[in-house]
Amino acid sequence: MVFSSLLFLFAFMAVTLLLYYIMPNNKLRNWVLFVLSLTFYGWGEPVYIVIMILSIAEAYFLGFFISKHKDSNIKRARFYLVLSLGLNLLALLFFKYCNFFIDNLRLIPGLSGLSPIEGLKLPIGISFYTFQIMSYTIDLYWGRTGLQRNFVAFGAYVTLFPQLIAGPIVRYRDVDDQLSERRENIDLFSSGVRRFITGVGKKVLIGDSVAALYEYFKATGEFEPTSLGAWMVMICYTLHIYYDFSGYSDMAIGLGRMFGFRFLENFNYPYISRSITEFWRRWHMSLGTWFKEYVYIPLGGNRGGKLKQLRNIFVVWFLTGFWHGASWNFLLWGVYFGVILIAEKFFLIKILEKLPKFVGHIYALLLIGFGWIIFSFTDAAAGIECFVALFGAGCESFTSPAVTYQVLRGLPLIIIGAIGATPYPKKLWDKLCTVDWTSVGAIRVDGREEPIVMSSESLSTRGKIFSVVGLLGSFAVLMLSVAYLVDSTFSPFLYFIF
Amino acid sequence: MKKTLNTITVILFTLIIFGFSAAFIITPDSDFSEDENRVLQTLPKFSFAALANGEYSSDMTDYFADQFPARDFFVGVKGVAENVLGRSENNGVLLGDDGQLAVRLFTAYKSRFERVEEIDYFYEENITISLDAVNAFAEKSELPLVTVLPPRTIDVAASAFDYPTDISDSLGALIASGLSDKAGYIDLFPIMRERYDSGEYVYMRTDHHWTSLGAYVTYCEIMKSFGMEDEIIPMERFSRETVEDFYGTTWSKAGYKFVPPDDIEIWSLGNEDDFITRCYASKMVKGEDGKPVKVKESYKEFSGWMNREYLDKKDKYAAFLDGTHNEQTVTLKSGEERETLLISKDSFANTLVPFLSQHFDLVILNLANKQADLSLAAEEYGCDKVLIVYNCGNLIENNNLALIK
Repeated sequence: MVFSSLLFLFAFMAVTLLLYYIMPNNKLRNWVLFVLSLTFYGWGEPVYIVIMILSIAEAYFLGFFISKHKDSNIKRARFYLVLSLGLNLLALLFFKYCNFFIDNLRLIPGLSGLSPIEGLKLPIGISFYTFQIMSYTIDLYWGRTGLQRNFVAFGAYVTLFPQLIAGPIVRYRDVDDQLSERRENIDLFSSGVRRFITGVGKKVLIGDSVAALYEYFKATGEFEPTSLGAWMVMICYTLHIYYDFSGYSDMAIGLGRMFGFRFLENFNYPYISRSITEFWRRWHMSLGTWFKEYVYIPLGGNRGGKLKQLRNIFVVWFLTGFWHGASWNFLLWGVYFGVILIAEKFFLIKILEKLPKFVGHIYALLLIGFGWIIFSFTDAAAGIECFVALFGAGCESFTSPAVTYQVLRGLPLIIIGAIGATPYPKKLWDKLCTVDWTSVGAIRVDGREEPIVMSSESLSTRGKIFSVVGLLGSFAVLMLSVAYLVDSTFSPFLYFIF
Repeated sequence: MKKTLNTITVILFTLIIFGFSAAFIITPDSDFSEDENRVLQTLPKFSFAALANGEYSSDMTDYFADQFPARDFFVGVKGVAENVLGRSENNGVLLGDDGQLAVRLFTAYKSRFERVEEIDYFYEENITISLDAVNAFAEKSELPLVTVLPPRTIDVAASAFDYPTDISDSLGALIASGLSDKAGYIDLFPIMRERYDSGEYVYMRTDHHWTSLGAYVTYCEIMKSFGMEDEIIPMERFSRETVEDFYGTTWSKAGYKFVPPDDIEIWSLGNEDDFITRCYASKMVKGEDGKPVKVKESYKEFSGWMNREYLDKKDKYAAFLDGTHNEQTVTLKSGEERETLLISKDSFANTLVPFLSQHFDLVILNLANKQADLSLAAEEYGCDKVLIVYNCGNLIENNNLALIK
């Protein structure tokens, strides 16, 4: 099930909220979250609930052994740690990467007889929940978190439907105490509602709309490749993936708050970065943190010399790319960023810092955009075609009338999307809503400038008005999103074909 | 203040979520959506088998979407919202002057396995294959042939939109140059465009079909091509009955609820009752020697060429020739035999029937349902002339025309 569906909004969420708040205590509430999250997860593919429960059970039980031995017999503890991680990764490797390996092995002469496993479907969210489970096991071994004795609480952590399918990847130790003791309250719930609606709006109103533009420009390229079309493919995908993914994270964080959880942020205006290093501190932060904490630092991080650090960066980015999907283009995408990050670390950052700010912005946005081209084309030939078309190669003309038309029609949306990806709208809004303004401008009196001073009361009225407007606007966005969702299910059967 | 606002937020949110859930439960389910012309999903029956294979959850998802309260209203809201950003386009349908709608994005058919959805381009190769099939048929058949490939609304009503015409123009040129002289092609692109631009109501505003006037214009061209110019019945001789409030398929797709409806005109000489329409189906039965034989039988017949019941429904265009059938004939009740015209067609031909039936006995094969064996039908019915009517939207979206033989 996805959040941006009518079934989720008006059936699943309604039932979950109702049952959750009927329950008198935290224990029962965890039960509600656990059971309903499994329903959420199994919707469409009930079989995968079994894999999910096995993964949870494995980590839960082996956790006892790790905890028991970690102070007395570190070797034993390590054995159970490796066993637990191994089992977890095995499931991930099997479901996500098995057929990729088989497909590539088949290219080796003599192994062409291998056949991919039929009907192997990727359990949704497996990349996310595997990493969440591992954070528990590893932190337990390191003594950064305590043993979770309650199976339902642990199960609720892993399956928690808000972040189950698309993150953020919540570390166990960040929510450990929230699992056993959390205080739901109106302020948190209300901020959750607003955050959730923001996410829905970002995904449904902007994300899906630019996705349609992206699909159009991508398809057009096949009939008549144009330079402008290729730039639009890149720009629209850049916006689409941000609004889709960060919108989903907003919904997750918002939903979490409605149930009393406080998750860490996952995005921090990534497209205002002035370097790739900065971009990866702002994009999918929970994944970056995970890799840094559980791969980069254990490998030695930047201790042990430049060469080792180089290796460590490379390993992390190879894995980051591969985590995103079992396909060569994701691997390439990871390595691409690995190389840029290494270059930045060793000399580029120093150069960039000396240049004017806008150079850094252009540099970062271009490299991010090129990255998204690699990311979005699983078909290498089509990806290369699109990339070279950016520079006019393979195009008969810069644009075609149809492409120009579509660009002009899409422009307002793209501009809104671009502005919305910066912190300025939010900053402006916060300014309008605050009550402690002292001066709103100046007026010329007898040739001298006199500040306009307003009494604090009228200013706070202004703040109040905007707060109310914000609240109403928020619900308008929700209803508009519902309209878009309804429309997307509205599929006239045209007797056109008859 | 903040506390109050937070409380209101929570209350409003709860009201909306549970309000819709409640409305969903209370409002009765409907089985059919006239607007979408399709059967809606009703409450799926629960079974463990259906749950295990995912069918139950997918039906449930559809059920929730199909039976959602105030569905039409929300579709309309989205239509309005899209226009706020100045797009004058929703769900691939353009909104032009005077409420003229036109589908802009089609599914470009490349092969059975490959097609691109939501695109304004088309695959030249696929269209050439279709045109070559017409050429081959024209070469082989000894009967006089006329080919009409009605342009799409976007090709005809181009002046109502600020959408570039180069794709329309190249489609028109591709067809005109791709058909041999023997195909008897009538290029309606310039004819219809000119009429539209001079303010004539030749194509519907809310539907992809032409109007009765558009059909009449085409009828005159067909008669000329068959060398029967002298027999054309002048426009003045027809009485016209107007049926109002026709909201066509383009309107449904567009979601622009504020666009006014079309009128459907029924042109008549008053002799409708002299004609009879029969619908045929073929089925396999056991022959005398035990082997299966194909038997054709008439399963429906009606006086004239209209089923007036459709005029009270949304899908009013289906009144012409009773909508979609595989094989139909239109003949005189008296049994008097005239020249027989074989029509290989899609729904555009349905409005041509009132005119053509005045001159010919008609044998109508639905090419959109892949009834493509013209040679066989021509022999079976003893046809004298052949007419192909297949609109450009279909030409882009499938390869049925390539199947004719």
